[in-house]
Order: sequence, then C-alpha cells, then structure tokens
Amino acid sequence: MEFRPLERGFAMSVTDAVDEANGAYQVGAAMGDVAEDLAAASLALARRFHAGGTMWCASPAWPFHAHHVAVEFVHPVIVGKRALAALTVPPGADVVATLRASVRPGDMVVALARADDAEVADAMRRGRAWGVETLWIGHGPRPPAGAADHVVWLDGDDELDASERFVRVYHLLWELTHVCFEHPGLLKALSPGDGPGCTDEVCITCSDEGRLAEVVTAEDDEAVVRTAEGTERIDTMLIEPPEPGDLVLVHAGSAISNVSDQG
Amino acid sequence: MSPESTDFLYPFIEGDETDSASLLDDLALSAQGKWAQSTSLRAETLERCEEQLRTVAAAMAERFAAGGRLYAFGNGGSATDAEGVAQLYTRPPAVTAFHPGRPALPLAARSLAEDQAVLTALSNDIGFDVVFSRQLIAHGRPHDIAMGFSTSGNSDNLLMAFAEAAKQGMLTVGLSGYDGGRMAADANLEHCIVVRSESVHRIQESQASVIHVLWAYVHEAMEARDLPV
Repeated sequence: MEFRPLERGFAMSVTDAVDEANGAYQVGAAMGDVAEDLAAASLALARRFHAGGTMWCASPAWPFHAHHVAVEFVHPVIVGKRALAALTVPPGADVVATLRASVRPGDMVVALARADDAEVADAMRRGRAWGVETLWIGHGPRPPAGAADHVVWLDGDDELDASERFVRVYHLLWELTHVCFEHPGLLKALSPGDGPGCTDEVCITCSDEGRLAEVVTAEDDEAVVRTAEGTERIDTMLIEPPEPGDLVLVHAGSAISNVSDQG
Repeated sequence: MSPESTDFLYPFIEGDETDSASLLDDLALSAQGKWAQSTSLRAETLERCEEQLRTVAAAMAERFAAGGRLYAFGNGGSATDAEGVAQLYTRPPAVTAFHPGRPALPLAARSLAEDQAVLTALSNDIGFDVVFSRQLIAHGRPHDIAMGFSTSGNSDNLLMAFAEAAKQGMLTVGLSGYDGGRMAADANLEHCIVVRSESVHRIQESQASVIHVLWAYVHEAMEARDLPV
C-alpha cells in the first residue's frame, strides 16, 4: 500500500516536528504484508468458528482493544451477520491461568500485544498443548518464527500509530471471516480437537518429534499431561522430573524433552 | 447486502469448493482496498476537522487546567473507545510521535462504560437510557468534560448524558459518524466532530485517529498557554 501524505494541520504540528527530531518517522504508515496474513488468519478463524470454537481475546497492555475485538464478533455491526462466540480475558487477569482453565480444544486465542509481552508469549506457545489456534497481532519488533500459528504484524514502534491500525486490522479480520462463511466447502478442513499443523495423516510433529504437552501433575517417573487430544498419563523417566505447567514433548507415551525454557 | 442470502444459487459449487487459494487472494485484495479507504477517510477527516479540533482542544485544556476531569462514554465498540481514551489520558505512552519532545503528563479521565456494577444497576433499576447521565449526576462538576462516542449519532443514552452535562456546565464533546445524526443538531452538545462515512467500521477507525490527534492538541494547547498541568 502506498503511503498517503498527511493532512496539513496535523502534518505541520506533529509529524514535521518528529521528522526533525528523529529522521523520517511517518504517522499512518503503510499496510505492508498484513493483507495476506490477515486473509490466512481469517480463513483459519472461520474454520474454527464453523466447527464450534470460541475465540478468546487478550490484550494486557490495551484491554480496550480486546474488548473491541470480542464485541465485534459477538454483536456484529451489520444486521443479519451471525453472532460468533468471542470472549475476553479480563483486564488484569493472569492470561495463562485464565486461558488454561477456560479454553477447549478447537478454540482460538487472539492476542494484541508487543513481542516482548512475556505473558502473551507464554500463552501462545501453550496453544498446541491446549488444542487451540493462536493469532498474535502486534507492532514493532516481530516475535520469533513459530511464536503463534498466525502472526499479523505492523511495522513501526509508535504505540498510538499502531493502535489506530489495530482497529483496522480487527475490523478486517471480522469482515474477512464472514466472507469465508460464504465458502462452506473451504470450512470443512478442521474439526474440534485437530491441532494446527497436525491435520495430515503423516505429521512430522507427531510421528517423529513428539506432541507438545503441558504437565498437569507429576509424581515419581510419571506425569499427567494435557495435549490437544485431552489428558493422558505419560512416562517421564527420560527427562528430569518436570513441574506442573512445564511444557514437554511426548512421543510414544514418554516425555522425550522438557521445552519449558525454549521461549 | 448479506452475501449469505445468495448461497442457494450455487449450493453445490460452494459446498464442493476445496481450493482456498483464490479465496485468499480475494480476501487480501479486499483488505487492501478497505485499508486504502480508511487511510483516505482519516486524511479527509483530520484535514476537514483541523480547526474544530484545535478549538475543542483549547476548551478542554482550560477545563483540565482548572482541575477538571474527562468523562468518556459510548456503546459497544464506542464503549471501548471510551475505555481507550481513559487509558490514553491517564496513562499516556512515554514516547509517541503524536506528542514529540517531552512525555505527555497524565490527565484525569474516566470511562463511564467500564463499571459493570453501575451499568447493570442503572439498566436494571431504571433503564439503559440513563446509564451515562445518572453517573454524570453523581460525578459531574462544572469544570469537567463529557465526551461521548457514537457512530450513528443517535444513541439516546448519549443525548441524555449531554443534556445532563450541559445542565451542569460541563464542556460537551461528541464524536459521531454518517451526517452526525441527532448529535449534530443537539443544542446540548457544544462540539460535535463528525466522521463523514456510511461504514461503521471506517467511522470508528477515523474516530480512533481523531482521539489521538485531539489528545495531542490538548497537550499542545496546555503547553502553549503555559498552564499548570
């Protein structure tokens, strides 16, 4: 998208001053490659909603954005569009603890946060163990590859500039999700409980390296863990005794490594 | 308007659709088009409202300097705008291009759409029309500012809040959409800033920009007058 020059008064008083101060900062920066990422995320959400999933919205730094996303999906502004299940993680709540207790396999977690939001990063990486699909919307430096199933990222460090574009991003997310509902043939790819990236018959993640699991309880050489398929009892002899909340990789009924610290 | 109503025309084709590539292309194109519309509307709105925003900011700066507090309110997505405004004024970002130089100082602001106990009590006992006005009866003081957000400009509870605010001598500021709706013609609303669009989403997107620019101008006005912050 091309950058549009700013309106006169605002440009004179705000951007020009900033341009003087730190070079070429431009409020209202371009869309970048957000369109393609938004399209893919919207189809993924439509599939999850279609299969009965609930969308959980979290934004520790900007709770009003999380509220806005949820109300957008629950109570659409266009009459006749279906109400979709969307809820917020309450402002100030422990994001991981709230989601751990609340999400069901097949749900979605949408976070609006910067990449250095440790709480959000932690919740996102547990997504596969919980069986949820994750979408991370943010700005500034990008999170590492694989930090979430879908990443929609805006350039620019300015919080207010990004905040304006966040509103566009989630409005479009809602609009595109509803367009996807007009294509029922494309909504069948997933059913609740399918882990993202784990839908093929031959799944590298599952068959060769192990499934991600979150430890619920651990005792002696055994642990009860939560995975996208539910809870199961596994053997932990091959690793150091894990703690509840740890993330481990499970292969053939055994934990083969503890990946809790691999943020 | 609803595309779902045309599903019956091609039930087999759509039900059998398996290749998502062309849909994804369409979605991305659609997103780009709407993004461009939003960018244009932002520029048009801020340019057309520049003088008005400066006037409102100067009036707000006077109120803040006199010890006033900002009360923000709205329904639905506009309630989240009110919540965002309260956060922006009370806990401004340390660094932003909207307010270059030194960090903006915190200003007293509160959303009237945040407290579920108050909102449900008033709605249940009296009615939803009074959820904001009754709070202003309790909180409002002559130096305060009432700022209401709407896309239609027609919300009864906003109009009632502006009436109460005007009665108390508060400064009244409204953000509206379309042609301004009833808010534009409301004698109790001193300043009505209108985003001229027919799309609720595009209106809200430009209102977000108005919120930021107005906030920056309030700080500029306070600093220019050398008022105590």
